[in-house]
Amino acid sequence: MHSKNSTVSIKSYLDLSQLLSEYRGSHEDNRAFALKHKKLEKAPTKLLLKWLDKNYFRIDGELNSKKYLDYLLSISSLLGLIFFILGFIVGLGLLSYDGKLPVNVIYYLFIAMFIPLFSMSLSAISIFSSDRVSHLIALLFPLHWIEKVLNYLPFRKKLKGFKVNLSFKLSKLLFIERLQLFSLIFSIGLLLSLLIMVIATDIAFGWSTTLQVSPEAFHRVIKYISIFWDKIIPSAIPSLDLVEMSHYFRLGEKLDISMVHNADKLGAWWKFLAMTTLIYAITFRFLFWIFTKEYLKKQLEESILSLKGVDKILREFKTPYISTQAPQKEKHLEIVEAKKEVVIKKREAKYQTILGWNFSKDEILLANDAKGIDGAENIWAVGGSNSFNKDLEIVKNSSGVVLLYVKSWEPPTMDFIDILEMLIENSKVTRVEIYPLGTIGRYYKNEQEHIDIWRRKIESVDSQKVWIVNHDR
Amino acid sequence: MIDRKNSYPKFAVVGHPNKGKSSIVSALAHDDSVQIGNTPGTTQVKRGFPLKVDGKIIYELFDTPGFQRARRILAWLEEHKPTSANKRADTIREFIYNFRDDERFRDEIELLEPIMNGAGIIYVVDASKPYGAEYEIEMEILRWTGQPSMAILNLIGDEDYREDWSRALGQYFRLVRTFNPLKAKFKNHIELLESIAQLKEDWTEQIKNAIEILKKFHNQKIDRTVEIIKDTTIKSLSYVYRHKIKSKTATKEEYRLASKHYRGELVKYERKLERDISEIWKHKNIERVDIPPLIDDVGLFSKESESIFGLSQKELILTGASAGAISGAGIDLAFSGGTFFLGTVIGSIVGGVSAMVGFDNLYNIKLLGKKIGKRELIVGPMKSANFPYVLLGRALYYASTLANRSHAIRDSLKLDDREFFIEKIIDNNMRKKLEKVHSKLREQKEPKEELLEEYREVILESFKKLI
Ligand SMILES: Nc1nc2c(ncn2[C@@H]2O[C@H](COP(=O)(O)OP(=O)(O)OP(=O)(O)O)[C@@H](O)[C@H]2O)c(=O)[nH]1
Ligand SMILES: [Mg+2]
Repeated sequence: MHSKNSTVSIKSYLDLSQLLSEYRGSHEDNRAFALKHKKLEKAPTKLLLKWLDKNYFRIDGELNSKKYLDYLLSISSLLGLIFFILGFIVGLGLLSYDGKLPVNVIYYLFIAMFIPLFSMSLSAISIFSSDRVSHLIALLFPLHWIEKVLNYLPFRKKLKGFKVNLSFKLSKLLFIERLQLFSLIFSIGLLLSLLIMVIATDIAFGWSTTLQVSPEAFHRVIKYISIFWDKIIPSAIPSLDLVEMSHYFRLGEKLDISMVHNADKLGAWWKFLAMTTLIYAITFRFLFWIFTKEYLKKQLEESILSLKGVDKILREFKTPYISTQAPQKEKHLEIVEAKKEVVIKKREAKYQTILGWNFSKDEILLANDAKGIDGAENIWAVGGSNSFNKDLEIVKNSSGVVLLYVKSWEPPTMDFIDILEMLIENSKVTRVEIYPLGTIGRYYKNEQEHIDIWRRKIESVDSQKVWIVNHDR
Repeated sequence: MIDRKNSYPKFAVVGHPNKGKSSIVSALAHDDSVQIGNTPGTTQVKRGFPLKVDGKIIYELFDTPGFQRARRILAWLEEHKPTSANKRADTIREFIYNFRDDERFRDEIELLEPIMNGAGIIYVVDASKPYGAEYEIEMEILRWTGQPSMAILNLIGDEDYREDWSRALGQYFRLVRTFNPLKAKFKNHIELLESIAQLKEDWTEQIKNAIEILKKFHNQKIDRTVEIIKDTTIKSLSYVYRHKIKSKTATKEEYRLASKHYRGELVKYERKLERDISEIWKHKNIERVDIPPLIDDVGLFSKESESIFGLSQKELILTGASAGAISGAGIDLAFSGGTFFLGTVIGSIVGGVSAMVGFDNLYNIKLLGKKIGKRELIVGPMKSANFPYVLLGRALYYASTLANRSHAIRDSLKLDDREFFIEKIIDNNMRKKLEKVHSKLREQKEPKEELLEEYREVILESFKKLI
C-alpha cells in the first residue's frame, strides 16, 4: 500500500499530519515503540517516520498525500511540457534569421543568462525572506500567475475534497523548487532549439545596442561570461575579430560589407551561445534546483517536528511509562437480599445463657451492668484467646434464650459464624439474640453503619432462631 | 535460589476484614478501580498491583481478603509445631498445601500465599477502635511466616486508641505507622514508602528507586495537567465561531443560534479538559457533582462561577485588563490606597466602575461579508477581561481537587469549596504575565513562544501551590 519512509518527504509529512489528526497513540504504546527502537533514540525524526510506517493502517480512507502528489505530478507534467515548448518556441523566435538582419546575440544572452541569474536571485531572496516579502516576490514569477489560472481548470475540483496541511513556508519552498525545475526544462528547450536551428539553418549572429559600447569592451564582457569554459573549450569564445566583425547598427541602412562577406564566420557565435545556455541557464539552474530540493527537505524535517501532536508523541517516546494498576479486573459482589427482618428493638427480659464474643468475662459483667441485664445461669467468654474446642464445649452447655454480645465495630468473621451455627444447631438453645455493643468510650452506643453490616451477615445465615438486638435506637 | 535480577519487593496488605486494606492499596496504587466496600469480605481474592516502569516491575502490592478463621489455623499450626522456630514457615507451607482446596480456609490461603512467596507484611488495623486480644491470633500467624513486617494504624472512626495499639503491635512488628488512606496525599504516600524501605535491607535500594520513579511520575502528571490547562485556556480564549447567513441580514434566531453554538463549544472544551485531567490523575470512576456551569443560558457567566473563580473587579482593574475602557491613571490612584476599600465604600466604587466597563458584555457578534450567501456571523473571541480567570480558576480548582483526592475515596466528587478564590493563588505579578497573553488573544493575535512559556510557568506555579 505504501513504501517505507526513511527520510522526510512531502508524502511522509502529509501522511503524518493526516495520521495525527486521527490517532496519536497512548503513552504506553508510544513508549513501548520507542523502547523497541532504542537505536533511534537520538534521531527523533527517523523514529517518527518509523512510527508513521507502523501506524499507516490507522489512516481512514484515502491518503491525502496521494491525492496531493497526484495533483502535483499532473500539474507538474503539464507545466513541464508547457515550459519545454515555451523554451523551444522562444528559442526559435530568437534565432529566426531572415537573411537580412542577423540574430542579435544580446537578446539571446538576455534570455539565456541574464533572466536565469535574475530569477535565481529572486528565488534565493524569497527563500530566505519573511512571508510578507515572499508574497510580493511571488507576484514577479510567471509561474505564480500560471498556477493561478490553472487553479480555475478542472484540477481545482480534485483538490477540493481535502485540505492539505502545508504551511506557507513549505508551500513557498515547494513552489520555488518547482519553479527551478520548470525553468530548467525551459532552458533545455531553448538549448535544443539553438542546436536544431544551427543544424537546420544558417544563422548569422551579430550584436547591437543603443548604448555606446566598443567592440573591445563587449569582447571583455564576453571573456568574463566565458570564464567557466575558457580553458576547456577555447573555441567557444568569440575572438575580438569576430566581435568587431559582427557589430552592426540596426538603424544603419545596410549591413557592413565585411559582415556580409564573413557571414559563415559569424555563425561561429553559436558555440558561445550554446555554452552560455548550458552553463548559466542549465548547469546553474540545475545546481540551484538541487539546492532548493535539499533546502525543502531540511525545512520539512524541521516542520514535521512542529506538527500538531508530534510534541506529545516525542515526549511519550522519551518518558518512561509508569503504571500502578492491577492487571486483572475485580468481579463485582452480588448483594444478598433480605429474607426476614432480623433486627429487633426489644430484647428478651431474661436470658439463660450470656456469651460475649471476644469479650472477657469481666467485660461481660460490665456490659450487663450498663445495660441493666440480670445475671444469667451461665456467663461465658467465647472467641478471643479461647481455643476453638473450648468454645465448642461452651456452645454445648448453652441452653434456652442466649444473649450474645459482640463488638459492633468488628465485622462478623467466619470464625464467629461457625460458633453461631453450632449454637443454632444446639436443640437446647431456643433463641439467640446478638447484641452489638459500641465502644466503652461511647457508652456502648453503636453506629447504624455497623448494625447494617451485622444485619446483612446474619440475614445470610437465614435462621429463625437468630435476632439482632438494636436496643439503643 | 531466587533470580536476583527479577526479584522485586512485594508487599501483602493483610488484616482483619473491613479495616481499610483495600483502601490503602487503592491509595498507594493510585487506582480507583479497587473494590472498597463497607461490607466485610469485599475483597475475596488476592490481587496484585505492580508499579511498572516500561513494563518492568519495581514493586508489587497485594490486596488480600481479611482473616476469617485465624483461630483454627493457629490451632493447626500449634499442633504441627516444629522443634525450632526457623522451621515455622515450612509449617505454614504445609498448611497451605494441605488445605488448598478447603473452602473454609480460602481467605487465609489467599492472604498467606503472597507472603510465602516472599512478600513483606503490611498489617492494617483500625486504631479508632479499642485493641482486642483476638488480634494476637492473626499477628501470631503472621509471625510464623518469618517475613519482614510492619503495621499501619488506620483511623476509620473518630476515636483514637493508637497508644494501646502501638503497645501491642510493637511486640509483633518492627515498624508501626499511621496512614489514612482517605486523606493521604502524595507526600504521605512517599513517607510511608520510606518506612517500608527500612523493612528489609535488600529492599531499601529498590524502594528508594521506586520513590524516585513515583516522584517523577507525579511531576509528569503535574506537567501534563498544566499543559492541558494552558492549551485549553488558549483554545477557548481564541475560539471564534463563524455562522453562515443565508439572506442579507441575520435574523434574531440566527444571532441566538450562533451565540449558543459559540458558548456550547466553550463548555465542550471545558468538559474535555475535565475528562483529560481525570484521566491523568487516574480518577476514571468518579461520579461528578457539577460545579456551577461555566456560562448560563442567557450567555452570561453564571454569577456563581464568576464570583468564585474570577477576579474581583478591583483586581481586574488593577490588572489593567480594562485599561482601555477606563482612563487608567485616575482609577489606579483611587485603588492604590488600601484603606479606601474598607466597608461599603468598596462596593459602591467598584459597582460604579463595573457599570462603566460593562463586565457583562462577554463577546462580540459581528456580521461580515459583502456578498449575499457569503455573509457570516462571527462570534468571539471572548472579550471579557474576567473570562480567562474564570476559566483558569475553574480548571485549577478541578485539577487540584482531583490531584489531591485519594484513590480510596468512593464518594462522588464534591466541588463546592467556597474558600477557593483565584486571587489567593495568582498574585499581581503572575497576573501581569497572564494578561500579556490574554490581551494578545483578545486581539486575535498569536502570542509569542516566550510569552506562552511564561504563561505555562505561571499556571504551573499556581497549580503547585494547590497540591
Ligand atoms: N472514614 C474512613 N473510612 C475508611 C478509611 N479506610 C477505610 N474506610 C472505609 O472502611 C470500609 C472498608 O474499607 P476497605 O478498604 O474495603 O476494607 P478492607 O479491609 O479491604 O475490607 P475487606 O476487603 O472486606 O476485608 C470502606 O467503607 C471504606 O470507605 C479511613 O481511613 N477513613
Ligand atoms: Mg478489601
